[in-house]
Amino acid sequence: MLPARTPSPSFPVRFSSLSKPLLVLIGVAGIFLGCARASKSHETVLTFSGSALGAEGTLVAKQLKDFMRLNPGIRVELQRTPDDASQRHQLYVQWLNARVGNPDILQLDVVWTPEFAAAGWVLPLDRFGPASSEFFPATIVANTWAGRLYALPWFADVGLLYRRTDLVPREPATLHELVTDAQQAMARPGGPRFGIVWQGARYEGLITGFVEYLGAFGGRILDDSGRVVVNQPAAVRALQFMRDELYASQIAPLDVLTWHEEEARFAFQNGTSVFMRNWPYAVGAMSDKTQSRVAGKFAVSPIPASGDPGGHSTATLGGAQLAINAYSESPAAAYKLIAYLTAPQQMLERAQAVGQYPTRQSLYSDPRLRTAIAIPPEDARRAIESATPRPVTPIYTELSEILQIELHRALVRQAEPQDALNSAASRINALIDRTGMRKLMSAARQTTDVPDTAGAGAPLPADRSQ
Amino acid sequence: MKKISRLGNEARLGWTLVAPALIVIGLIAIFPLGWTVWESLHLHELRMPWLGQPFIGLANYVEIANDPRFWGALGHTAFFTVVSISLELLIGLFLALAMNRVFRGRGFVRAAVLVPWAIPTVVAALLWRFIFESEGGIANALLVDAHILRQPMVWFIEAATAWVPVILADVWKTTPFVALLLLAGLQNIDLSLYEAAAVDGANAWWQLRHITLPLLKPAILVTLIFRTLDGFRVFDLIYVLTGGGPGTSTEPVALYTFNALLQNLRFGYGSALSVVIFAITFGLALLYVRGLGVRLGGDEA
Repeated sequence: MLPARTPSPSFPVRFSSLSKPLLVLIGVAGIFLGCARASKSHETVLTFSGSALGAEGTLVAKQLKDFMRLNPGIRVELQRTPDDASQRHQLYVQWLNARVGNPDILQLDVVWTPEFAAAGWVLPLDRFGPASSEFFPATIVANTWAGRLYALPWFADVGLLYRRTDLVPREPATLHELVTDAQQAMARPGGPRFGIVWQGARYEGLITGFVEYLGAFGGRILDDSGRVVVNQPAAVRALQFMRDELYASQIAPLDVLTWHEEEARFAFQNGTSVFMRNWPYAVGAMSDKTQSRVAGKFAVSPIPASGDPGGHSTATLGGAQLAINAYSESPAAAYKLIAYLTAPQQMLERAQAVGQYPTRQSLYSDPRLRTAIAIPPEDARRAIESATPRPVTPIYTELSEILQIELHRALVRQAEPQDALNSAASRINALIDRTGMRKLMSAARQTTDVPDTAGAGAPLPADRSQ
Repeated sequence: MKKISRLGNEARLGWTLVAPALIVIGLIAIFPLGWTVWESLHLHELRMPWLGQPFIGLANYVEIANDPRFWGALGHTAFFTVVSISLELLIGLFLALAMNRVFRGRGFVRAAVLVPWAIPTVVAALLWRFIFESEGGIANALLVDAHILRQPMVWFIEAATAWVPVILADVWKTTPFVALLLLAGLQNIDLSLYEAAAVDGANAWWQLRHITLPLLKPAILVTLIFRTLDGFRVFDLIYVLTGGGPGTSTEPVALYTFNALLQNLRFGYGSALSVVIFAITFGLALLYVRGLGVRLGGDEA
């Protein structure tokens, strides 16, 4: 029920001069006022939603309390939402369709922002004057739709290459070097059975891995003007490379085609693999000597480039953002809370409590971060700086589903890479037509004043909504 | 005159008495169904409010007809249903015949056989996933030990092998239920028929073909209806075991619909898919009842 409320320091009564019964009476009245949501006093009530389990939950509760102490006029309630991202997404979409003003603050996954922005479910933040330049550019790009910023990055997740330092002392400079390193380490007597493990099951994790190979070969899913380029030669080479890891160089076991993050971590942690692609969270468990055979024997680095011209080292950007519900009754107070939670001090606290990477660049030169996150901050910084967001488009989830299926088909050898990607491209194009995206995106481009180099002359497809 | 008005009164009383039941049926069956049909005629994408919610006639159904993934899913569903039900009927009949014999501990065996049926599907699916997952799984270990496989294999990355755990799990879980239904049918057969046949010199095979199976037909058909409708709606087992993969090679229509409706929040298209599944299962049920002459009332005698 209601937590016991202590009168705020500004309470305009001198307590020492009052008798005990009267104090009790005032206390009771205070509770009733609290129940009535204090409509008479000028207290603003905000609801904050997000994942709040375990250590993260304790931290969020503490930071909300600190915020209330600093802002006596604002009361924040924590609304717990499912930790599972797709369940939270489903809940949010249902609430926002019903135009519910609660929760005021939404915790968005990095790929949701454009969807929520295009739907008009979250408020643009520009009018509050956010300090966008202090965040890593990729994290800002991911939260920008039609030239406006819709969410502030709270913490960042990046794909990393884990490497057994006892087997491969130097980080591979290219993907081809990675293959050789893996093969040599596997050939050693008593060497690990697997060269590299990644997430190859048919789910979002497959896309995050693919985006990294794609960058390494200089390919993309959508180009700057929103055209589908996922069946271009560079992308085919990237997919072919992933497939070769399974069937040609055989450094990746076929098992990865059913694996998520945890299966990959178990394999690496038990010492059965030379390399692993995974998120930063794995560092913690694997550094624990009681459960890990590789504690003290691994390092992380950005995923290398292919070595082909046009390719570059990249990491898929993940993480959480904070945005304001468009139906919120107190957007200004909500922004105040978002600004507070994404301030350097709170980000540092978060890194110290749960090891999540800050999204503010300046914190990476702060010595306190070194003890907070498990890897050297320079390495983390390097990975985040090379990070690419997944396609920034409101139809990302469906686009991703199409790609997941086609990539998986190519990797299990149901289809050739070129054919699978052609099929993905034509289905993504059909999706773009069906959802009226071309119109929406060209409107988005007009507001951003990005010169349109391609497809401007093409007639708009018939829009079913008209 | 008097008679008619009395009949009218009785009819009115009758309608009044069944009205609550009819209202409840209307509210929980007809209304949602009607609404789903209405939704299926609209473009309604919950995550794309800019499209509005226009009436688009049969466009969703046209999209379904042109969607290879839907036809694939329909094929997978039919394949799953036919294969698993055939196996279940065969093994279930065998079990039922065995359990129908008089032997010591029969009650215990009948109860024990039901254990797999009592396990929640998701738990059973996880169990089977565990058995077939990874090269260190139990299935691989057994097959390699028995020299059937030369090396461990990854079952879930090829369509043909991904079906194995799916079908095995369903057969393992549902055969007891089939056996029980058939056992009930067996117990309705008059034993004196067998005695008479034995006197006439009929052997066991002849008795099975000419007495047991014909008289078991109603029980078999009831089982078929239950199992076909279940098979067509298969969801949880495959969701947990293969997620529809590799690619979409084991995706049934229910999983595809779930995906459209609840993952992608395409309410219009998803509703159209639901209507199609409803029509198919309804059609199948009609076919069984009309075409094969099943009497659900049980007034066969």
